[in-house]
Parts: sequence; C-alpha cells; structure tokens
Amino acid sequence: MGSQGGFGQSKEFLDLIKSIGEARSKSEEERIVLREIETLKARLSSPNTSKYKLKEYLIRLLYVEMLGHDASFGYIHAVKMTHDENLLLKRTGYLAVTLFLNEDHDLIILIVNTIQKDLKSDNYLVVSAALNAVCRLINEETIPAVLPQVVELLNHQKEAVRKKAVMALHRFHLKAPGSVSHLVSNFRKKLCDNDPGVMGASLCPLYDLIANDADSYKDLTVSFVSILKQVAERRLPKSYDYHQMPAPFIQIKLLKILGVLCSGDKKASEQMYTIVGEIMRKCDTASNIGNAILYECICCISSSVPNPKLLEAAANAVSNFLRSDSHNLKYLGIDALSRLIKISPEIAEQHQLAVIDCLEDPDDSLKRKTFELLYKMTKSSNVEVIVDRMIEYLINMSDSHYKTEIASRCVELAEQFAPSNQWFILTMNKVFEHAGDLVDIKVAHNLMRLIAEGFGEDDDAADTQLRSSAVESYLRIMGEPKLPSAFLQVICWVLGEYGTADGKYSASYITGKLADIAEAHSTDDTVKAYAVSALMKVYAFEIASGRAVEILPECQSLIEATLASHSTDLQQRAYELQAVLTLNAAAVKNILTTDSTHDDVEVDRDLSFLNGHVQKSLVNGARSYIPESERSGAINVKIHEERELSSGYGGLRFEAYELPKPPPLSVPQAVSDGELIPVPEQQQASSYVSDMQLPSSPLPFQPDGVSPELKLRLDGVQRKWGRPTYASPSPS
Amino acid sequence: QIRFILLQNRQGKTRLAKYYIPLEESEKHKVEYEVHRLVVNRDPKFTNFVEFRTHKVIYRRYAGLFFSLCVDITDNELAYLESIHLFVEILDHFFSNVCELDLVFNFHKVYLILDEFILAGELQETSKKSIIDRMGELEKQD
Repeated sequence: MGSQGGFGQSKEFLDLIKSIGEARSKSEEERIVLREIETLKARLSSPNTSKYKLKEYLIRLLYVEMLGHDASFGYIHAVKMTHDENLLLKRTGYLAVTLFLNEDHDLIILIVNTIQKDLKSDNYLVVSAALNAVCRLINEETIPAVLPQVVELLNHQKEAVRKKAVMALHRFHLKAPGSVSHLVSNFRKKLCDNDPGVMGASLCPLYDLIANDADSYKDLTVSFVSILKQVAERRLPKSYDYHQMPAPFIQIKLLKILGVLCSGDKKASEQMYTIVGEIMRKCDTASNIGNAILYECICCISSSVPNPKLLEAAANAVSNFLRSDSHNLKYLGIDALSRLIKISPEIAEQHQLAVIDCLEDPDDSLKRKTFELLYKMTKSSNVEVIVDRMIEYLINMSDSHYKTEIASRCVELAEQFAPSNQWFILTMNKVFEHAGDLVDIKVAHNLMRLIAEGFGEDDDAADTQLRSSAVESYLRIMGEPKLPSAFLQVICWVLGEYGTADGKYSASYITGKLADIAEAHSTDDTVKAYAVSALMKVYAFEIASGRAVEILPECQSLIEATLASHSTDLQQRAYELQAVLTLNAAAVKNILTTDSTHDDVEVDRDLSFLNGHVQKSLVNGARSYIPESERSGAINVKIHEERELSSGYGGLRFEAYELPKPPPLSVPQAVSDGELIPVPEQQQASSYVSDMQLPSSPLPFQPDGVSPELKLRLDGVQRKWGRPTYASPSPS
Repeated sequence: QIRFILLQNRQGKTRLAKYYIPLEESEKHKVEYEVHRLVVNRDPKFTNFVEFRTHKVIYRRYAGLFFSLCVDITDNELAYLESIHLFVEILDHFFSNVCELDLVFNFHKVYLILDEFILAGELQETSKKSIIDRMGELEKQD
C-alpha cells in the first residue's frame, strides 16, 4: 500500500483513520471523532498554524463530516483557503468547499469573487478547479456573475478546460434555462470539437435542449448520425475503448439523442436505419456494456419510426434478454418489451410465458417492472387475471407510495376493460378494502356515480340487479373490521340510496346497520355524515312510499348525538333529517325523488326565479343594480365565481388568497428574483402592487396596458363599496 | 442525470458521498441509511437496479464496498452499471490494485478523480487514459 504514508499526511491523520476503523462500537467512534473535532477547532482558530497544516486539518474535517458529524465551524477556513495562491492549497480549499457547502449557503458570496478571479487565471489547473466549483455551487442568482468567463473558456486551448466549461454551461441550463438560451450555437460548435472528450461533454446539454424542443435541432440529425458512424467504426482514439466496445458511453448518449430527435418523424428516422442496424449487429452480447448499447438501440427504435427489419432485430434482442439467466438482463428485457408493445402489440404474445415467470420471481424490482408491462398489455381478454394478480400484489405490499400507484392502475384497468358489472363491483370492493385510503377520493365518487347511472345501458332491470348485488355485497363486507374510510362512505351511500329499493331488506335492518357503522367510527366525521344522510334517505323513501317510519333506538341516539355535534356539517344533516321526518309523503317525494341521483343538478346562475320580485322593487323606486364591472373599473367577478363553482367538491380555492396589505408604496423593491435586472421589472412590480388594491380576486395577469402609475386603477372604485382599507388610495 | 454517488461498506459506513442535488445534512444521513439498508440485504442474484423513492439506485458490490449511484427512472441502467465499473477500473489503475483502505486513506484523491469522471451529474469523460493523465498532472503539483 504505497499510497498510505506518502503525500504529506502526518502521523496524526493516519492514527485518526486507523482508530476509527478499529473502533469497536459506535460510541467509541463518536468519542474519537468528538475529540478530533475539539482538536481541530482549537488548531484551526489559532493563528500560528502553517498553511500546509491547515490543509491537512481541512482534510480531517472532511473526513469527520463524511462520518456524519457536523463540522460547520470549519467552513470559513475552507473558504479562506480557496483564496490562497498555492495551487495545492487552493485545490484543497475548493474540494472542501464543494463538499461542505450547498449552493444556498451564505458563504457562497465570499467564494464567487475568488471563482471569478480564478476563472481568468493563466494556470489551467486553477481554472479547472474553479470550474469544478462552479458546477457545484452556482445557483440561479450567481450565474450572471460567472457566465461571461465560462463562455470565454469554451475556446481555451486546453481541452480539459473546454470540457468542464461545457459541463458548467449544461448545469446553468438545468438551473435556469433562460440564461443560456443564447449560447445554443456554442453548444453546436463544441459538437464539432477536435477532442472527443469535449464532443462527448457537449452531448449532455444538447440532449436537454433537444428534449425540450426537438424541431429546431432536426438539422443536427445528420451530424449525430455521422458521429455515431465514426465512433462505431472505431475512429476514436483507442483510449475510449471499454471492454472492446468503442466509446460505448458516447454511443449510448448519441442513441438517446437520436431517439428523441426522430420520434414521430419518418424522414429523420430513415437516416439512422443503417447505422443503428450496424451497431446492433456488432454488439457483443456477452458483455454487459454490449447489452447496454443494445438496450439503448431498442429504446431508440421504439421511440422513432422504425422499418420492419429493425423491428425484427429488436424483437430478437428482446427474446435473448428474456431468456437469459441474469436478472439484470431479464429486467431490461421486460422494459424493452413494454416499449416495443406500443409499436407492435403482437410481440407480447410470444413472450407471455417468460413474462409470467418474471412475475413469480422473488425479486421485487423485477416484479414491479413486470406489472408495468402487464398494465400496458391489458386487453379485455386478460384483464381479469391481471387485475387479480395486481390486487394480490397490492395486499402484500408495504410501500404505501407504490401501493397508491398500483391501486389507481387497478382502478383504471377495471374501468376500461371490465367484462361484467358484477366483476367490476367486486374488484372495486377489493381495491377499496385494501387500499381505500390511498386511492383518490374521486374514485369513490366515480364508483357511486357508476352504480347510480348503471353503466349507461338502458336496461333498467340489469341496473336494479346490479344495485341489489352491490347492496348485498356491502352488507356482507360491513362486518369486517378496519375498513378504510372512503370505502365506508361508499357503502353508506349505496345503502342509503338503494338499500330498501328492492324491498329485500327492511328499513329498520338497514338503519340498524347504518347506526352500527356510525357507532364504530365515531371519530370519523365524514363517515358519520354519510351515515346520517343515508338514514335520511331511507326514512324519506319510507315516508314517500307511505309506510310509517319506525326509528330504532340506536338511530335515535345517533341523531341526537349529531344534533349536538361540533361539526356544523353533521349538525345540518341531523336537522335536515328531523325536518324530513315531519314532512308528509308528497313533500318528501319532491325533495328526494328516487332514482334521480344521476340527473344533473341545475344551477340557476342568474337566479331568474327572483326576477319577478326584482321588477316589483324597481317599480317601487329602488335603485337599479349597477353591475360590478362598471363600479370598479376592471374586475370581472364572474370569472371568479365561475371558477369557484366549477372547482368541484367543497369549492376548494386553488388560487392564492389575497395578498396582504401592500406596504406604503415606494419603489417596489426585489419583487421577483431578477434583482439584477431592475428596469423592466418595474412595470411588472407595479401591476403586482395594484393587483392588491382590488381585493376580490386574483386577476388574470395583464402585463400590457398597465402604466406604472398606480393611480389609474382607483378611478372606478367607490368608497362606499368594499373594504375601506384597500380602497383608500395610497400616494404613488 | 446522476443525483448522488455513495460508497459504503457492509456496516453502513460511508466511505465516499458525492451529491449532485441540494440536500440538507439530515436528509443526507437519511438517504445514506436508507440506501445502505436497501442494498446490503439484496440477494446477489437479483437485479442490480432497485427503485428508491421516485428514482432508481444502481449498485454493485466490490469486495466489502457497495458502490451506489442514484439516477432518474428513465436512465439506461446497464450503462450506469458499467460506468460504476469504469470508475472502479480507474481507481484500480491509479492506486495499483486498489483496496478499501486505499480509498479510506486517500479519500480526498478519490473525490478529485470522481470530479474528473462525473461533473454536474453527467458523465464527463469516459476515457480512462485521459483521467489518469489528468490526475498525474495534479499529483505533480504536490
């Protein structure tokens, strides 16, 4: 181990590492580390330490932090070290800084200056170190500070510097796409750079740019194809060979780019047929990297418009993958298969057996991939089997994030391909039972709607049969413990609507069950609410059909409890229930007609039934209504209202609430992130402020036609309307 | 795009950790702990790719060390597996038959090598020779 003692580390350092390595227990290790921290603290702050010692302390600090302890007291020393002239110290400083700090850290400001200076340095190693730091530490705000130098460095004579400059620009692009949009031509030029390393590096930003907007880069397809050809023909220097494959990573990147460029475009795809075919033939299937390239080719083929020969080659490759013993390759095979299915579904048939095998495999990742494939392969012929399998998997799964995904997938498939209503309900029940709380509440409502509307057929008999079977299954399931809340809601609703519809169960039986549910889940307000409404419906149906209502004692106590409940929603429902009980049959029929739950509720927006009354008042001298738009000058409150009504359950507001009262208006400072470009922001900022003057709604943003003067907005506002605090004009 | 690279031994000690996305200290520790747990118990016959939160972790075990790479779901897994191997080959070349202790005692150099190999989350340079040459130039400065 020749590297152990050399390179200037002191004995202390070696001892430190050895002792930590030999520590028997976590607490011993902690003791050692804490002692080390104390030592470092003392030595770092003492002014006598030589620079080289400092460097070593920094390294030890790095080690300490890597073990998980906090070393923030040393950050400032790292920063200071980057200022140093000596290359070695500077590099250590940069290294420490890139590992310690994040781009949001306060100390970044101190470094930006150093970086700027270093980027201009003559020594290319210094420049490289600075570029390394740039890639890690620059965020949106500091990009403009270093951008010009980095661009210049694209033409540096050392290829290593050029390469790093490209990567830095790529990183800028990731952080703030707008900042480098004008540099696209530079990326293109770098593609043609002499050094393959730079060329390879430029593929990264180009891939991102192309992924965003493929059309403007179609002309580059030719260049990419020719580069790919050169690489495959081994024209790159030998050092890029890896396990006998010429520059495989570059090939993969190029294939990815071509896949994106040629998606949906036949002409572009034609250009790459030959070369992709060549590559596939030459791939060495015995080595991992060869298979990686093969896989990437398949991805490329599946996202572009292929010709039959290529497809065949791809299908062959996939079969080889699936047949191999290595799990890795099977995984890739399944993934490739799911991509190819989009283009030619028949391929799936041949490999069904292999796919099922993968499903049985104990390897979890393989199983997941297979499920994704099955999801894409589902048709009405195999949906039952697949969904049943999925539900089984669901039951055994513990990862809730993934459970949600699978549950929603099951639901989607069931909705799309359900062979019979019976099966659909059963499946939905199962899904709810096991993953009810994770599934979106909309699914529950969907289910209710479907039961109500009866799958759109006009066959009433089938519908009623469906509903009775639903009722029966629910009554059975109700007994089970630990049912999720959403499921209970559905059950209550169905029982309430249709429990007594077919006459099999008496009202008292149903109401008894409902009361039981409410008892068992007395902490869950939504379930109770549903139960109470269901009770109401059952009683209403009883009254409507002329039967006398007998209220069981449990129901009575439930009603009384909810009458006094803290939740206003529950209270309201209970009161409504009571009111319904006092009505006679005809009135009840009007309110709760049977079987009309799927009729759309019509909202009379204009309140036209009140028109008569309005006319009368006008005639009597009341002032006519000034529409709000004329009153306030610019808002359209209707938009706001419509938005609110259409936002669905519970009228959730998705727009931000009104902004707080604006500060006394002076120059709007730092409104947005673009502090460094103050002038054009002014207009935006002033309209932002004037937005706040009018409190009703967030305005659709009107950047044009807003003059910087704030007085304009206040002309139409009458003092007597609205909140006086906002309406008072502030001096602008 | 690579999100982070971790080198951990079987006990869960982190030998090297390089993050290409911003994360708080506590989150970093959580991540390291979770990845370790995920990777150390996996059967060697299973795939080298595991789902991890909303991304993927590609890992490979070399003697007592686990090299883990966290990438996006859409990335080519096998390619990254091979890039791990390329990195190991480079380390092997640089330290002449590298072993875990080499990495421990010279972790700062390993970081420098890593910086030549991967930058800003992407593979920067795939030619073993040029990376070794660069490191040679840096060593001369010592």
